[in-house]
Amino acid sequence: MLIKRKRGWELPESQATPESVFRQRRRLIAGLAAGPILLGAGALLAGRGASPAAAEEADPSAKLYPAKQNMRYRLDRPVTGEELATTYNNYYEFGSSKNIWREAQDLPIRPWTVSIKGMVEKPFEIAIDDLLAKMPLEERLYRHRCVEAWSMAVPWSGFALARLVELAKPLSAAKYLKMVTLEDSDVMPGQRAGWYPWPYTEGLTIAEATNELAFIATGLYGKPIPRQNGAPLRLATPWKYGFKSVKSIVSFEFTDQRPQTFWEEIQPAEYGFWANVNPKVPHPRWSQASERVLGTDERVPTQLFNGYADYVADLYKGMEGEKLYM
Amino acid sequence: MIDFPWNDRAGRFSTVRGAAFALALAPACWLAFEAATGGLGAKPLTEATHQTGLWTIRLLLVTLALTPLRRITGWNRCIVARRLLGLSVFAYAVGHLALYVADQGWDLGQAASEIALRFYLTVGFVALVGLALLAATSTDAAIRRLGRRWQQLHRTVYALAALGVLHFFLQSKIDASEATLMMGFWLLLMGWRAAQRAGAPLGAPRTLTVVALAAGLATAGLEALWYGLATGIPWRLVLAANLTLTPWPRPAWWVLGAGLAAALLPLARARLGRRPLSVSPSRA
Ligand code: HEM
Repeated sequence: MLIKRKRGWELPESQATPESVFRQRRRLIAGLAAGPILLGAGALLAGRGASPAAAEEADPSAKLYPAKQNMRYRLDRPVTGEELATTYNNYYEFGSSKNIWREAQDLPIRPWTVSIKGMVEKPFEIAIDDLLAKMPLEERLYRHRCVEAWSMAVPWSGFALARLVELAKPLSAAKYLKMVTLEDSDVMPGQRAGWYPWPYTEGLTIAEATNELAFIATGLYGKPIPRQNGAPLRLATPWKYGFKSVKSIVSFEFTDQRPQTFWEEIQPAEYGFWANVNPKVPHPRWSQASERVLGTDERVPTQLFNGYADYVADLYKGMEGEKLYM
Repeated sequence: MIDFPWNDRAGRFSTVRGAAFALALAPACWLAFEAATGGLGAKPLTEATHQTGLWTIRLLLVTLALTPLRRITGWNRCIVARRLLGLSVFAYAVGHLALYVADQGWDLGQAASEIALRFYLTVGFVALVGLALLAATSTDAAIRRLGRRWQQLHRTVYALAALGVLHFFLQSKIDASEATLMMGFWLLLMGWRAAQRAGAPLGAPRTLTVVALAAGLATAGLEALWYGLATGIPWRLVLAANLTLTPWPRPAWWVLGAGLAAALLPLARARLGRRPLSVSPSRA
């Protein structure tokens, strides 16, 4: 007899949002957004030139989406409205407000070169569109848990980070993968604040980076990923707090030194290297026991490893001495 | 006769009180408008908590600025707005707390335990209790009854403002620019008070210039100290950022600017032909 063990991401078929409803919701949201945009935002759009929609059309990777959904990664809650997920963002390179999606449209995403370097057989650089052509693109539904006790459920498109690690051919001595955001203070005004350790740096162990959940997102809601969400490629590690998911990556460096990450460096008392979600370990200033689901009146209980313990708990066996949850 | 907030004691419309009433009400109206039209974004309760917190501290500092403004400009009538503005500060603080509790799903036990557990919330709570005490003793009857002790009690408002600023610093994720700015304005107010106490005439541009420079320098120094003690950001870099005006001038410059602008006010008074205010030791 086949015994089927229920795993973290699975749910009765009846609870999943049917595709048609999901697409319909998107149209509804687009419709709702159209009114205020036409009425109120005319001046803003006129002032800023290109609208996000126009920028999207120019994206050469647009034809790659929507990617085929990988049914292994489904969710126990409805997908967050696209409007919310693309207008409520942290992107300190553009400013510390959550409302920076408009400013982020200044980010130039072509040409975009990704460099693979450090402890690899042969370092190389690759243009984003060449990389996309090499990688098997798919869509996954992931929960996203911000350290600030809010969450959303998003359809990322992209490829497993493990595929990129394969392509890079790291040496066996490499222990960590360090990922870095673009540094260009001409277009990113936040980077002119010179007391921050730019560029934004994040890191994973090689074991974490090759875990099946670690994902490089290049698309969102069946389209190329918007700039404010980290175009043209960003990390998604759904069992960790959102700040681990570095945006607009320009380099993947393999190293035997644990990278000093951006938030760990500027606020070591509150944010660490591991940043695994754990409802029992509070942030110094708030409880992590529950989370506000964006776009709802609900607070739901937070789950260990954000509900992905079945995939990742083994990664941390024997590491109890580390600050795994901050 | 209804005692409208915009009327003076004789029941006539007062422009100063009318303007103060409009100032106190405008942020709440804007917030209500944004809430109704979805302008508060993905986390409306959090956004509203932040906006009410900001207006609590801003209006508190505006309220505290009235007495020195009166001494600097000789414009005595501005003081009629003080109680109205002070009470609006309390109203925003209560709204701020209510929104926080709403964000906790109206779970009072959870809210209370968070307030007890998280130092920044405890600080905010102490400030709020203090503001409640001051609001409760703001009636004419209470002022009469308490006599001299009323003065002593209401002088704690400076300490409560300092607690509000501390709460602002403590809640910041990393960027404490606006908290620094509020601290700078508080320092400016304290500087004016200290100058007054030391017998320096507040109507003199020279006094005001000295206070402006001192408050500006102290703001820059304390900002660097905050980053040095409370974050991993090197304090030297924060201090040095005051020397470059990019990406925008640091709070110390805005504090200096505000202080120097105040130093120009007595000159405007001279041009308007008003006689300088005689320096009286009594506190209004
Ligand atoms: C029981 C009393 C209070 C509670 C529970 C409370 C709660 C909060 C919370 C939850 C935040 C947001 C923190 C975050 O997002 O991490 C906040 C921010 C703030 N609060 Fe309070 N607070 C209280 C009293 C006060 C008082 C009395 C003042 C002013 C005198 C004040 C001024 C502020 C300011 C200025 C902010 C920052 C807003 C921003 O930067 O957007 N709070 N408070």
